[in-house]
Amino acid sequence: MAPAIEIKELTKDFPLGLGKYKLRAVDHLSLRVEQNQVFGLLGPNGSGKSTTMKVILGLLTPTAGECRVYGLPSNKTAARKEVGFLPEAPYFYKYLSGLEMVVLMGKICGLSAARARERAWEVIEWVGLKDAARRRVGTYSKGMLQRIGIAQALVHDPQLIILDEPTAGVDPVGSAEISSLVLKLKEAGKTILLCSHLLAQVEDICDHVAIMNKGRCIRQGPLAEITEGQGDTEIRLDQLPEPEVEALRRWLGERGIDLRQVKRPQLRLDEVFLREIGKADLIYRQGSESVQLGSQVTSDKAGKDSENE
Amino acid sequence: MNSLRIIRLIAGNTFLEAVRQKLFLFLVFIAAAFIVSSFYFRDLDFGFSELKFISDFGFGAIVFFGSILSIAGAAQLFFNEIENRTALTILAKPVRRIEFILGKFTGVWAVVLAFTAMMTLLLMAILWYREGILMGMERFARDFPEGRKVLYGDILWVGFLQWLKFGILISITMIVAGFARTNLFTVVISFFILIICHLQYLARDAWAEIAFWPARMGVAVMGFAFPNFQVFNVGEYVALYEPLPWSVIGSLVGLSAIYIIVYNLLAVVSFRSREI
Ligand SMILES: Nc1ncnc2c1ncn2[C@@H]1O[C@H](COP(=O)(O)OP(=O)(O)O)[C@@H](O)[C@H]1O
Ligand SMILES: [Mg+2]
Repeated sequence: MAPAIEIKELTKDFPLGLGKYKLRAVDHLSLRVEQNQVFGLLGPNGSGKSTTMKVILGLLTPTAGECRVYGLPSNKTAARKEVGFLPEAPYFYKYLSGLEMVVLMGKICGLSAARARERAWEVIEWVGLKDAARRRVGTYSKGMLQRIGIAQALVHDPQLIILDEPTAGVDPVGSAEISSLVLKLKEAGKTILLCSHLLAQVEDICDHVAIMNKGRCIRQGPLAEITEGQGDTEIRLDQLPEPEVEALRRWLGERGIDLRQVKRPQLRLDEVFLREIGKADLIYRQGSESVQLGSQVTSDKAGKDSENE
Repeated sequence: MNSLRIIRLIAGNTFLEAVRQKLFLFLVFIAAAFIVSSFYFRDLDFGFSELKFISDFGFGAIVFFGSILSIAGAAQLFFNEIENRTALTILAKPVRRIEFILGKFTGVWAVVLAFTAMMTLLLMAILWYREGILMGMERFARDFPEGRKVLYGDILWVGFLQWLKFGILISITMIVAGFARTNLFTVVISFFILIICHLQYLARDAWAEIAFWPARMGVAVMGFAFPNFQVFNVGEYVALYEPLPWSVIGSLVGLSAIYIIVYNLLAVVSFRSREI
Protein backbone atom coordinates (compact mmCIF):
# COMPACT_ATOMS: atom_id res chain seq x y z
CA MET A 1 0.00 0.00 0.00
CA ALA A 2 1.17 3.51 -0.81
CA PRO A 3 2.44 5.55 2.15
CA ALA A 4 -0.01 8.07 3.59
CA ILE A 5 2.19 10.95 2.49
CA GLU A 6 5.21 10.91 0.26
CA ILE A 7 7.12 14.10 -0.42
CA LYS A 8 10.12 14.15 -2.71
CA GLU A 9 12.49 17.08 -3.00
CA LEU A 10 9.71 19.57 -2.35
CA THR A 11 10.65 23.22 -2.84
CA LYS A 12 8.31 26.17 -2.45
CA ASP A 13 9.22 29.76 -3.25
CA PHE A 14 7.07 32.76 -2.52
CA PRO A 15 7.57 35.89 -4.65
CA LEU A 16 8.58 38.93 -2.66
CA GLY A 17 6.95 42.05 -3.99
CA LEU A 18 7.24 42.69 -7.70
CA GLY A 19 10.95 42.03 -8.04
CA LYS A 20 12.46 38.68 -8.86
CA TYR A 21 13.50 38.09 -5.25
CA LYS A 22 11.96 35.02 -3.79
CA LEU A 23 11.53 33.63 -0.35
CA ARG A 24 12.29 29.95 -0.15
CA ALA A 25 9.82 28.65 2.45
CA VAL A 26 10.54 24.95 1.86
CA ASP A 27 13.86 23.75 0.51
CA HIS A 28 14.26 20.27 -1.00
CA LEU A 29 12.22 18.53 1.65
CA SER A 30 11.69 14.79 1.40
CA LEU A 31 9.64 12.77 3.81
CA ARG A 32 7.45 9.73 4.06
CA VAL A 33 4.61 9.21 6.48
CA GLU A 34 3.57 5.58 6.77
CA GLN A 35 0.15 4.28 7.67
CA ASN A 36 -0.72 4.58 11.39
CA GLN A 37 2.23 6.76 12.32
CA VAL A 38 2.03 9.87 14.46
CA PHE A 39 4.45 12.01 12.51
CA GLY A 40 5.65 15.27 14.00
CA LEU A 41 6.85 18.05 11.73
CA LEU A 42 8.76 20.22 14.14
CA GLY A 43 10.65 23.45 13.93
CA PRO A 44 10.62 27.10 14.93
CA ASN A 45 8.16 29.64 13.56
CA GLY A 46 8.68 30.33 9.90
CA SER A 47 10.52 27.10 9.21
CA GLY A 48 8.05 26.06 6.53
CA LYS A 49 5.81 23.62 8.38
CA SER A 50 2.47 25.20 7.45
CA THR A 51 3.66 25.70 3.88
CA THR A 52 4.45 21.99 3.65
CA MET A 53 1.01 21.12 4.97
CA LYS A 54 -0.68 23.42 2.49
CA VAL A 55 1.17 21.72 -0.34
CA ILE A 56 0.00 18.34 0.97
CA LEU A 57 -3.56 19.67 0.94
CA GLY A 58 -3.24 21.02 -2.59
CA LEU A 59 -3.73 24.61 -1.41
CA LEU A 60 -0.32 25.63 -2.72
CA THR A 61 1.43 24.48 -5.88
CA PRO A 62 4.99 23.30 -5.35
CA THR A 63 7.73 25.25 -7.13
CA ALA A 64 9.61 21.96 -7.60
CA GLY A 65 9.38 18.41 -6.39
CA GLU A 66 6.37 16.20 -5.86
CA CYS A 67 3.91 15.38 -3.15
CA ARG A 68 1.60 12.38 -3.06
CA VAL A 69 -1.19 11.47 -0.65
CA TYR A 70 -2.05 7.78 -0.70
CA GLY A 71 -0.31 7.60 -4.04
CA LEU A 72 -2.34 10.43 -5.64
CA PRO A 73 -0.73 13.75 -6.60
CA SER A 74 -1.75 16.26 -3.95
CA ASN A 75 -3.22 18.74 -6.44
CA LYS A 76 -6.01 16.26 -7.27
CA THR A 77 -9.26 16.81 -5.42
CA ALA A 78 -9.62 13.07 -4.88
CA ALA A 79 -6.39 13.05 -2.86
CA ARG A 80 -8.20 15.00 -0.12
CA LYS A 81 -11.04 12.51 0.27
CA GLU A 82 -9.36 10.66 3.11
CA VAL A 83 -7.82 13.72 4.72
CA GLY A 84 -8.98 15.82 7.65
CA PHE A 85 -7.29 19.14 8.35
CA LEU A 86 -7.10 21.42 11.36
CA PRO A 87 -5.77 24.78 10.16
CA GLU A 88 -3.35 26.87 12.17
CA ALA A 89 -5.29 29.33 14.32
CA PRO A 90 -8.58 27.92 13.12
CA TYR A 91 -11.24 30.43 12.25
CA PHE A 92 -14.61 29.11 11.27
CA TYR A 93 -17.86 30.72 10.25
CA LYS A 94 -18.50 32.78 13.37
CA TYR A 95 -22.20 33.10 12.67
CA LEU A 96 -22.71 29.33 12.84
CA SER A 97 -23.01 27.25 15.97
CA GLY A 98 -20.39 24.59 16.53
CA LEU A 99 -22.88 21.93 15.57
CA GLU A 100 -24.03 23.72 12.40
CA MET A 101 -20.42 24.19 11.35
CA VAL A 102 -19.48 20.54 11.79
CA VAL A 103 -22.67 19.40 10.05
CA LEU A 104 -21.92 21.73 7.11
CA MET A 105 -18.38 20.37 6.80
CA GLY A 106 -19.73 16.81 6.96
CA LYS A 107 -22.16 17.50 4.14
CA ILE A 108 -19.44 19.15 2.08
CA CYS A 109 -17.39 15.99 2.52
CA GLY A 110 -20.25 14.03 0.98
CA LEU A 111 -22.19 12.73 3.98
CA SER A 112 -25.98 12.70 3.70
CA ALA A 113 -27.79 15.28 5.83
CA ALA A 114 -28.89 12.68 8.38
CA ARG A 115 -25.49 11.00 8.53
CA ALA A 116 -23.74 14.38 8.85
CA ARG A 117 -25.85 15.25 11.90
CA GLU A 118 -25.23 11.87 13.47
CA ARG A 119 -21.48 12.03 12.88
CA ALA A 120 -21.32 15.66 14.03
CA TRP A 121 -22.78 14.72 17.40
CA GLU A 122 -20.37 11.79 17.63
CA VAL A 123 -17.24 13.83 17.00
CA ILE A 124 -18.43 16.78 19.08
CA GLU A 125 -19.00 14.47 22.00
CA TRP A 126 -15.66 12.85 21.32
CA VAL A 127 -13.78 16.15 21.58
CA GLY A 128 -15.80 17.06 24.66
CA LEU A 129 -17.83 20.00 23.35
CA LYS A 130 -21.31 18.59 23.76
CA ASP A 131 -22.44 21.34 26.11
CA ALA A 132 -21.23 24.12 23.81
CA ALA A 133 -22.43 22.55 20.57
CA ARG A 134 -25.29 25.00 20.08
CA ARG A 135 -23.29 28.11 20.89
CA ARG A 136 -21.94 30.31 18.12
CA VAL A 137 -18.35 29.54 17.18
CA GLY A 138 -17.61 33.24 17.63
CA THR A 139 -18.02 32.84 21.38
CA TYR A 140 -15.60 29.90 21.76
CA SER A 141 -12.33 30.09 23.66
CA LYS A 142 -9.05 29.23 22.00
CA GLY A 143 -9.03 25.67 23.35
CA MET A 144 -12.62 25.12 22.27
CA LEU A 145 -11.81 26.41 18.79
CA GLN A 146 -9.01 23.87 18.49
CA ARG A 147 -11.35 21.11 19.59
CA ILE A 148 -14.21 22.09 17.26
CA GLY A 149 -11.51 22.30 14.60
CA ILE A 150 -10.51 18.73 15.31
CA ALA A 151 -14.18 17.72 15.26
CA GLN A 152 -14.71 19.21 11.78
CA ALA A 153 -11.50 17.54 10.60
CA LEU A 154 -12.77 14.15 11.76
CA VAL A 155 -16.40 14.41 10.73
CA HIS A 156 -16.04 12.34 7.55
CA ASP A 157 -13.90 9.74 9.33
CA PRO A 158 -10.73 10.33 7.28
CA GLN A 159 -7.71 8.02 7.38
CA LEU A 160 -5.15 10.79 7.49
CA ILE A 161 -5.46 13.69 9.90
CA ILE A 162 -3.30 16.78 9.51
CA LEU A 163 -3.05 19.09 12.49
CA ASP A 164 -1.32 22.45 12.20
CA GLU A 165 -0.12 23.56 15.64
CA PRO A 166 -2.91 21.77 17.51
CA THR A 167 -1.66 22.82 20.94
CA ALA A 168 -0.39 26.34 20.27
CA GLY A 169 -1.94 28.87 22.61
CA VAL A 170 -3.86 26.24 24.53
CA ASP A 171 -3.55 25.81 28.31
CA PRO A 172 -1.89 22.68 29.81
CA VAL A 173 -5.16 20.85 30.38
CA GLY A 174 -6.36 21.64 26.89
CA SER A 175 -3.12 20.58 25.29
CA ALA A 176 -2.97 17.38 27.37
CA GLU A 177 -6.50 16.63 26.20
CA ILE A 178 -5.54 17.23 22.59
CA SER A 179 -2.52 14.94 23.01
CA SER A 180 -4.75 12.23 24.39
CA LEU A 181 -7.14 12.66 21.44
CA VAL A 182 -4.22 12.20 19.07
CA LEU A 183 -3.20 8.98 20.80
CA LYS A 184 -6.76 7.68 20.64
CA LEU A 185 -6.78 8.38 16.91
CA LYS A 186 -3.60 6.38 16.53
CA GLU A 187 -5.19 3.51 18.43
CA ALA A 188 -8.12 3.69 16.04
CA GLY A 189 -5.69 3.06 13.20
CA LYS A 190 -5.48 6.61 11.83
CA THR A 191 -2.39 8.30 10.51
CA ILE A 192 -1.58 11.68 12.00
CA LEU A 193 0.71 14.39 10.73
CA LEU A 194 1.04 17.22 13.19
CA CYS A 195 3.29 20.21 13.25
CA SER A 196 4.39 22.27 16.18
CA HIS A 197 7.04 24.67 17.34
CA LEU A 198 6.61 23.31 20.87
CA LEU A 199 9.14 20.57 20.45
CA ALA A 200 9.02 19.32 24.03
CA GLN A 201 5.26 19.01 24.05
CA VAL A 202 4.84 16.82 21.00
CA GLU A 203 7.75 14.66 21.99
CA ASP A 204 5.34 12.69 24.14
CA ILE A 205 2.99 11.73 21.35
CA CYS A 206 4.94 11.43 18.11
CA ASP A 207 6.62 8.25 17.03
CA HIS A 208 8.37 9.76 14.01
CA VAL A 209 9.64 13.29 13.66
CA ALA A 210 11.23 15.55 11.10
CA ILE A 211 12.86 18.68 12.42
CA MET A 212 12.84 21.64 10.06
CA ASN A 213 14.79 24.85 10.11
CA LYS A 214 14.60 27.58 7.47
CA GLY A 215 12.75 25.29 5.11
CA ARG A 216 15.26 22.47 5.33
CA CYS A 217 14.89 19.19 7.13
CA ILE A 218 17.77 18.88 9.58
CA ARG A 219 16.91 15.59 11.33
CA GLN A 220 14.39 12.91 10.54
CA GLY A 221 13.55 9.47 11.86
CA PRO A 222 11.88 7.50 14.65
CA LEU A 223 11.64 9.62 17.78
CA ALA A 224 13.44 7.11 19.99
CA GLU A 225 16.44 7.14 17.65
CA ILE A 226 16.62 10.90 17.49
CA THR A 227 16.28 11.56 21.19
CA GLU A 228 18.40 8.65 22.37
CA GLY A 229 20.91 10.00 24.89
CA GLN A 230 24.50 9.17 24.04
CA GLY A 231 26.12 6.58 26.30
CA ASP A 232 23.96 6.79 29.43
CA THR A 233 21.33 4.31 30.55
CA GLU A 234 18.34 5.29 32.63
CA ILE A 235 16.65 2.72 34.86
CA ARG A 236 13.45 3.36 36.73
CA LEU A 237 12.79 1.31 39.91
CA ASP A 238 10.21 1.15 42.64
CA GLN A 239 11.11 3.12 45.78
CA LEU A 240 14.70 2.06 46.61
CA PRO A 241 15.88 2.41 50.24
CA GLU A 242 19.31 3.98 50.87
CA PRO A 243 21.14 0.69 51.86
CA GLU A 244 19.94 -0.91 48.65
CA VAL A 245 21.28 2.00 46.65
CA GLU A 246 24.67 1.41 48.25
CA ALA A 247 24.50 -2.31 47.49
CA LEU A 248 23.61 -1.52 43.90
CA ARG A 249 26.48 0.92 43.62
CA ARG A 250 28.92 -1.72 44.88
CA TRP A 251 27.49 -4.39 42.58
CA LEU A 252 27.83 -2.07 39.60
CA GLY A 253 31.30 -0.96 40.74
CA GLU A 254 32.48 -4.56 40.61
CA ARG A 255 31.49 -4.60 36.96
CA GLY A 256 33.33 -1.38 36.23
CA ILE A 257 30.18 0.72 35.83
CA ASP A 258 29.90 4.07 37.57
CA LEU A 259 26.57 4.88 39.16
CA ARG A 260 26.48 8.59 38.60
CA GLN A 261 23.11 9.80 39.77
CA VAL A 262 20.36 8.64 42.04
CA LYS A 263 17.32 10.88 42.31
CA ARG A 264 13.61 10.93 42.64
CA PRO A 265 12.14 11.77 39.23
CA GLN A 266 10.94 15.30 38.81
CA LEU A 267 7.48 16.03 37.65
CA ARG A 268 7.05 18.66 35.01
CA LEU A 269 5.00 21.63 36.06
CA ASP A 270 2.18 20.80 33.70
CA GLU A 271 2.08 17.33 35.23
CA VAL A 272 1.87 18.76 38.74
CA PHE A 273 -0.99 20.94 37.55
CA LEU A 274 -2.84 18.03 35.97
CA ARG A 275 -2.45 15.99 39.18
CA GLU A 276 -3.72 18.83 41.33
CA ILE A 277 -6.90 19.19 39.31
CA GLY A 278 -7.47 15.46 39.30
CA LYS A 279 -6.65 14.84 35.64
CA ALA A 280 -3.55 12.68 36.15
CA ASP A 281 -4.88 10.25 33.57
CA LEU A 282 -4.02 12.76 30.86
CA ILE A 283 -0.31 12.61 31.70
CA TYR A 284 1.45 10.63 29.07
CA ARG A 285 5.12 10.21 28.43
CA GLN A 286 6.71 8.37 25.61
CA GLY A 287 7.35 4.76 26.65
CA SER A 288 5.63 4.85 30.02
CA GLU A 289 1.99 4.88 30.91
CA SER A 290 2.27 7.65 33.43
CA VAL A 291 5.09 8.73 35.65
CA GLN A 292 5.44 6.72 38.84
CA LEU A 293 7.02 8.41 41.78
CA GLY A 294 9.91 6.09 42.54
CA SER A 295 13.65 6.14 42.40
CA GLN A 296 15.46 6.87 39.21
CA VAL A 297 18.95 5.62 38.59
CA THR A 298 21.33 6.94 35.96
CA SER A 299 24.58 5.23 35.16
CA ASP A 300 27.03 5.60 32.35
CA LYS A 301 28.87 3.17 30.13
CA ALA A 302 26.13 0.61 30.25
CA GLY A 303 26.79 -2.37 27.99
CA LYS A 304 25.65 -1.72 24.46
CA ASP A 305 23.26 -4.65 24.67
CA SER A 306 21.56 -3.42 27.83
CA GLU A 307 18.00 -2.40 27.40
CA ASN A 308 17.32 1.21 26.71
CA GLU A 309 14.23 2.20 28.63
CA MET B 1 -23.98 15.37 -9.00
CA ASN B 2 -21.88 15.76 -5.93
CA SER B 3 -20.59 19.04 -7.39
CA LEU B 4 -24.08 20.53 -7.49
CA ARG B 5 -24.58 19.58 -3.87
CA ILE B 6 -21.33 21.23 -2.81
CA ILE B 7 -22.22 24.37 -4.78
CA ARG B 8 -25.62 24.44 -3.11
CA LEU B 9 -24.08 24.01 0.35
CA ILE B 10 -21.56 26.80 -0.16
CA ALA B 11 -24.26 29.03 -1.66
CA GLY B 12 -26.61 28.35 1.25
CA ASN B 13 -23.91 29.20 3.74
CA THR B 14 -23.02 32.39 1.85
CA PHE B 15 -26.67 33.44 1.85
CA LEU B 16 -26.90 32.80 5.57
CA GLU B 17 -23.81 34.89 6.20
CA ALA B 18 -25.16 37.75 4.09
CA VAL B 19 -28.51 38.00 5.81
CA ARG B 20 -26.77 38.02 9.16
CA GLN B 21 -24.69 40.96 7.99
CA LYS B 22 -25.54 44.61 8.51
CA LEU B 23 -24.81 45.76 4.97
CA PHE B 24 -27.65 43.70 3.52
CA LEU B 25 -30.24 44.87 6.03
CA PHE B 26 -29.03 48.44 5.68
CA LEU B 27 -29.41 48.43 1.89
CA VAL B 28 -32.82 46.81 2.12
CA PHE B 29 -33.89 49.48 4.55
CA ILE B 30 -32.51 52.42 2.57
CA ALA B 31 -33.83 51.21 -0.79
CA ALA B 32 -37.25 50.57 0.72
CA ALA B 33 -37.22 54.05 2.24
CA PHE B 34 -36.43 55.54 -1.20
CA ILE B 35 -39.19 53.66 -2.94
CA VAL B 36 -41.73 54.60 -0.30
CA SER B 37 -40.59 58.23 -0.29
CA SER B 38 -41.52 58.62 -3.99
CA PHE B 39 -45.07 58.19 -2.83
CA TYR B 40 -44.86 61.38 -0.79
CA PHE B 41 -44.02 63.59 -3.78
CA ARG B 42 -47.72 63.74 -4.44
CA ASP B 43 -47.99 67.39 -3.51
CA LEU B 44 -46.14 68.00 -6.76
CA ASP B 45 -49.46 66.93 -8.18
CA PHE B 46 -48.19 65.00 -11.17
CA GLY B 47 -51.55 63.45 -11.71
CA PHE B 48 -51.46 61.10 -14.65
CA SER B 49 -47.67 61.03 -14.95
CA GLU B 50 -47.25 60.50 -11.24
CA LEU B 51 -47.30 56.74 -11.65
CA LYS B 52 -44.55 56.97 -14.27
CA PHE B 53 -42.54 58.97 -11.79
CA ILE B 54 -43.02 56.42 -9.02
CA SER B 55 -42.02 53.60 -11.32
CA ASP B 56 -38.93 55.42 -12.67
CA PHE B 57 -37.88 56.43 -9.21
CA GLY B 58 -38.47 52.95 -7.83
CA PHE B 59 -36.47 51.17 -10.52
CA GLY B 60 -33.76 53.80 -10.14
CA ALA B 61 -33.49 52.90 -6.47
CA ILE B 62 -33.49 49.17 -7.24
CA VAL B 63 -30.74 49.52 -9.85
CA PHE B 64 -28.64 51.85 -7.72
CA PHE B 65 -28.79 49.93 -4.44
CA GLY B 66 -28.87 46.57 -6.20
CA SER B 67 -25.60 47.44 -7.97
CA ILE B 68 -24.02 48.41 -4.66
CA LEU B 69 -25.26 45.20 -3.07
CA SER B 70 -23.99 43.10 -5.98
CA ILE B 71 -20.49 44.53 -5.96
CA ALA B 72 -19.99 45.15 -2.25
CA GLY B 73 -21.76 41.93 -1.31
CA ALA B 74 -19.76 39.74 -3.69
CA ALA B 75 -16.46 41.35 -2.66
CA GLN B 76 -17.27 41.22 1.05
CA LEU B 77 -18.51 37.65 1.07
CA PHE B 78 -15.51 36.51 -0.94
CA PHE B 79 -12.90 38.30 1.16
CA ASN B 80 -14.48 37.22 4.42
CA GLU B 81 -13.57 33.69 3.41
CA ILE B 82 -10.01 34.67 2.55
CA GLU B 83 -9.39 36.95 5.53
CA ASN B 84 -11.05 34.74 8.11
CA ARG B 85 -9.21 31.81 6.59
CA THR B 86 -12.40 29.85 6.23
CA ALA B 87 -11.51 29.31 2.55
CA LEU B 88 -8.57 27.30 3.84
CA THR B 89 -10.84 25.01 5.83
CA ILE B 90 -13.28 24.54 2.94
CA LEU B 91 -10.70 24.06 0.19
CA ALA B 92 -8.81 21.53 2.33
CA LYS B 93 -11.90 19.35 1.94
CA PRO B 94 -12.51 17.52 -1.32
CA VAL B 95 -13.88 20.74 -2.85
CA ARG B 96 -12.82 22.02 -6.26
CA ARG B 97 -12.03 25.65 -6.86
CA ILE B 98 -14.79 25.83 -9.47
CA GLU B 99 -17.29 24.56 -6.90
CA PHE B 100 -16.17 27.19 -4.43
CA ILE B 101 -16.47 30.06 -6.92
CA LEU B 102 -19.81 28.91 -8.30
CA GLY B 103 -21.08 28.39 -4.75
CA LYS B 104 -20.08 31.92 -3.78
CA PHE B 105 -21.60 33.34 -6.96
CA THR B 106 -24.87 31.49 -6.48
CA GLY B 107 -25.07 32.56 -2.84
CA VAL B 108 -24.55 36.24 -3.63
CA TRP B 109 -26.95 36.06 -6.56
CA ALA B 110 -29.58 34.54 -4.27
CA VAL B 111 -29.09 37.41 -1.82
CA VAL B 112 -29.57 39.90 -4.64
CA LEU B 113 -32.65 37.96 -5.78
CA ALA B 114 -34.14 38.36 -2.32
CA PHE B 115 -33.38 42.08 -2.45
CA THR B 116 -34.72 42.62 -5.98
CA ALA B 117 -37.85 40.59 -5.32
CA MET B 118 -38.64 42.45 -2.11
CA MET B 119 -38.10 45.86 -3.69
CA THR B 120 -40.05 45.03 -6.86
CA LEU B 121 -42.99 43.77 -4.82
CA LEU B 122 -42.84 46.87 -2.67
CA LEU B 123 -42.83 49.06 -5.77
CA MET B 124 -45.82 47.17 -7.17
CA ALA B 125 -47.70 47.60 -3.91
CA ILE B 126 -47.08 51.36 -3.90
CA LEU B 127 -48.09 51.72 -7.53
CA TRP B 128 -51.24 49.72 -6.93
CA TYR B 129 -52.18 51.80 -3.92
CA ARG B 130 -51.51 55.14 -5.62
CA GLU B 131 -53.24 54.10 -8.83
CA GLY B 132 -56.33 53.25 -6.79
CA ILE B 133 -56.31 56.68 -5.19
CA LEU B 134 -55.82 58.47 -8.52
CA MET B 135 -58.64 56.50 -10.10
CA GLY B 136 -60.91 57.67 -7.33
CA MET B 137 -60.06 61.34 -7.87
CA GLU B 138 -62.43 63.17 -10.17
CA ARG B 139 -59.68 65.17 -11.84
CA PHE B 140 -57.85 62.07 -13.06
CA ALA B 141 -60.71 59.63 -13.49
CA ARG B 142 -60.76 60.16 -17.28
CA ASP B 143 -57.15 58.90 -17.48
CA PHE B 144 -58.37 55.45 -16.50
CA PRO B 145 -61.26 54.77 -18.87
CA GLU B 146 -60.79 50.99 -18.75
CA GLY B 147 -59.72 50.57 -15.15
CA ARG B 148 -56.09 50.06 -14.08
CA LYS B 149 -53.43 50.97 -16.63
CA VAL B 150 -50.19 49.89 -14.97
CA LEU B 151 -48.94 46.55 -16.36
CA TYR B 152 -48.04 44.82 -13.10
CA GLY B 153 -46.90 41.59 -14.78
CA ASP B 154 -44.37 43.58 -16.78
CA ILE B 155 -43.08 45.27 -13.66
CA LEU B 156 -42.17 41.82 -12.39
CA TRP B 157 -40.37 41.14 -15.67
CA VAL B 158 -38.40 44.36 -15.39
CA GLY B 159 -37.40 43.40 -11.86
CA PHE B 160 -36.32 39.98 -13.11
CA LEU B 161 -34.23 41.51 -15.89
CA GLN B 162 -32.50 43.82 -13.40
CA TRP B 163 -31.66 40.72 -11.37
CA LEU B 164 -30.03 39.18 -14.47
CA LYS B 165 -27.97 42.32 -14.89
CA PHE B 166 -26.89 42.07 -11.26
CA GLY B 167 -25.82 38.49 -12.03
CA ILE B 168 -23.43 39.81 -14.69
CA LEU B 169 -22.16 42.40 -12.24
CA ILE B 170 -21.56 39.78 -9.53
CA SER B 171 -19.60 37.60 -11.95
CA ILE B 172 -17.46 40.60 -12.92
CA THR B 173 -16.75 41.23 -9.24
CA MET B 174 -15.84 37.55 -8.75
CA ILE B 175 -13.28 37.75 -11.58
CA VAL B 176 -11.63 40.74 -9.93
CA ALA B 177 -11.82 39.18 -6.44
CA GLY B 178 -10.15 36.02 -7.76
CA PHE B 179 -6.84 37.77 -8.23
CA ALA B 180 -7.18 40.95 -6.13
CA ARG B 181 -5.38 41.22 -2.81
CA THR B 182 -7.92 43.39 -1.02
CA ASN B 183 -11.61 43.97 -0.73
CA LEU B 184 -11.28 47.69 -1.44
CA PHE B 185 -9.36 47.14 -4.68
CA THR B 186 -12.04 44.69 -5.80
CA VAL B 187 -14.86 47.12 -5.08
CA VAL B 188 -13.14 50.06 -6.82
CA ILE B 189 -12.23 48.11 -9.95
CA SER B 190 -15.68 46.56 -10.16
CA PHE B 191 -17.40 49.94 -9.93
CA PHE B 192 -15.07 51.19 -12.62
CA ILE B 193 -16.11 48.30 -14.86
CA LEU B 194 -19.76 49.00 -14.01
CA ILE B 195 -19.31 52.54 -15.31
CA ILE B 196 -17.63 51.24 -18.47
CA CYS B 197 -20.59 48.90 -19.00
CA HIS B 198 -22.99 51.79 -18.70
CA LEU B 199 -21.06 54.09 -21.01
CA GLN B 200 -19.64 51.69 -23.57
CA TYR B 201 -22.53 52.34 -25.95
CA LEU B 202 -21.02 55.78 -26.51
CA ALA B 203 -17.82 54.19 -27.76
CA ARG B 204 -19.78 51.63 -29.73
CA ASP B 205 -21.77 54.37 -31.46
CA ALA B 206 -18.56 56.10 -32.38
CA TRP B 207 -16.59 53.07 -33.55
CA ALA B 208 -17.86 53.06 -37.06
CA GLU B 209 -16.49 56.54 -37.56
CA ILE B 210 -12.96 55.75 -36.37
CA ALA B 211 -10.71 55.61 -39.41
CA PHE B 212 -7.65 54.13 -37.71
CA TRP B 213 -8.42 50.40 -37.83
CA PRO B 214 -6.51 49.19 -34.69
CA ALA B 215 -8.47 51.68 -32.63
CA ARG B 216 -11.66 50.52 -34.28
CA MET B 217 -10.74 46.94 -33.43
CA GLY B 218 -10.01 47.94 -29.85
CA VAL B 219 -13.39 49.55 -29.44
CA ALA B 220 -15.07 46.54 -31.03
CA VAL B 221 -13.32 44.14 -28.66
CA MET B 222 -14.26 46.30 -25.70
CA GLY B 223 -17.84 46.26 -26.92
CA PHE B 224 -17.84 42.48 -26.67
CA ALA B 225 -15.82 42.15 -23.47
CA PHE B 226 -18.11 44.48 -21.54
CA PRO B 227 -21.86 44.14 -21.93
CA ASN B 228 -23.87 47.24 -22.69
CA PHE B 229 -25.85 47.76 -19.50
CA GLN B 230 -27.94 50.46 -21.17
CA VAL B 231 -30.03 47.77 -22.85
CA PHE B 232 -31.38 46.74 -19.46
CA ASN B 233 -33.14 50.08 -19.03
CA VAL B 234 -36.53 48.70 -19.95
CA GLY B 235 -38.43 50.52 -17.23
CA GLU B 236 -39.55 52.96 -19.96
CA TYR B 237 -42.00 50.44 -21.37
CA VAL B 238 -43.71 49.99 -18.07
CA ALA B 239 -43.78 53.68 -17.35
CA LEU B 240 -45.43 54.32 -20.71
CA TYR B 241 -47.96 51.56 -20.10
CA GLU B 242 -46.65 49.62 -23.07
CA PRO B 243 -46.30 45.86 -22.89
CA LEU B 244 -42.72 44.60 -22.73
CA PRO B 245 -42.05 42.82 -26.06
CA TRP B 246 -41.08 39.15 -25.77
CA SER B 247 -38.22 39.77 -28.15
CA VAL B 248 -36.70 42.21 -25.66
CA ILE B 249 -37.10 39.79 -22.75
CA GLY B 250 -35.67 36.92 -24.80
CA SER B 251 -32.63 38.80 -26.02
CA LEU B 252 -31.80 40.12 -22.54
CA VAL B 253 -32.10 36.65 -21.00
CA GLY B 254 -29.82 35.25 -23.70
CA LEU B 255 -27.31 38.07 -23.35
CA SER B 256 -27.19 37.67 -19.55
CA ALA B 257 -26.82 33.89 -19.74
CA ILE B 258 -23.85 34.16 -22.09
CA TYR B 259 -22.07 36.81 -20.05
CA ILE B 260 -22.75 35.09 -16.71
CA ILE B 261 -21.41 31.75 -17.96
CA VAL B 262 -18.32 33.21 -19.62
CA TYR B 263 -17.53 35.54 -16.72
CA ASN B 264 -17.91 32.76 -14.15
CA LEU B 265 -15.49 30.59 -16.11
CA LEU B 266 -13.05 33.51 -16.14
CA ALA B 267 -13.57 33.92 -12.38
CA VAL B 268 -12.64 30.26 -11.90
CA VAL B 269 -9.50 30.72 -14.00
CA SER B 270 -8.66 33.84 -12.03
CA PHE B 271 -9.12 32.05 -8.70
CA ARG B 272 -7.48 28.81 -9.73
CA SER B 273 -3.91 29.95 -9.33
CA ARG B 274 -4.58 31.87 -6.15
CA GLU B 275 -2.53 30.65 -3.21
CA ILE B 276 -4.73 30.38 -0.16
N1 LIG C 1 1.64 33.37 1.24
C1 LIG C 1 2.90 33.68 1.56
N2 LIG C 1 3.55 34.66 0.90
C2 LIG C 1 4.82 34.95 1.21
N3 LIG C 1 5.54 34.35 2.16
C3 LIG C 1 4.94 33.38 2.88
C4 LIG C 1 3.59 32.98 2.61
N4 LIG C 1 3.27 31.98 3.47
C5 LIG C 1 4.37 31.76 4.22
N5 LIG C 1 5.37 32.59 3.87
C6 LIG C 1 6.72 32.62 4.46
O1 LIG C 1 7.25 31.31 4.37
C7 LIG C 1 7.99 30.99 5.54
C8 LIG C 1 7.47 29.72 6.14
O2 LIG C 1 6.19 29.95 6.66
P1 LIG C 1 5.32 28.85 7.38
O3 LIG C 1 5.30 27.65 6.52
O4 LIG C 1 4.02 29.45 7.74
O5 LIG C 1 6.16 28.55 8.69
P2 LIG C 1 5.76 27.75 9.99
O6 LIG C 1 4.41 27.15 9.80
O7 LIG C 1 6.84 26.72 10.12
O8 LIG C 1 5.78 28.72 11.12
C9 LIG C 1 7.87 32.19 6.46
O9 LIG C 1 9.05 32.95 6.35
C10 LIG C 1 6.69 32.94 5.92
O10 LIG C 1 6.84 34.32 6.15
MG1 LIG D 1 2.73 27.50 10.87
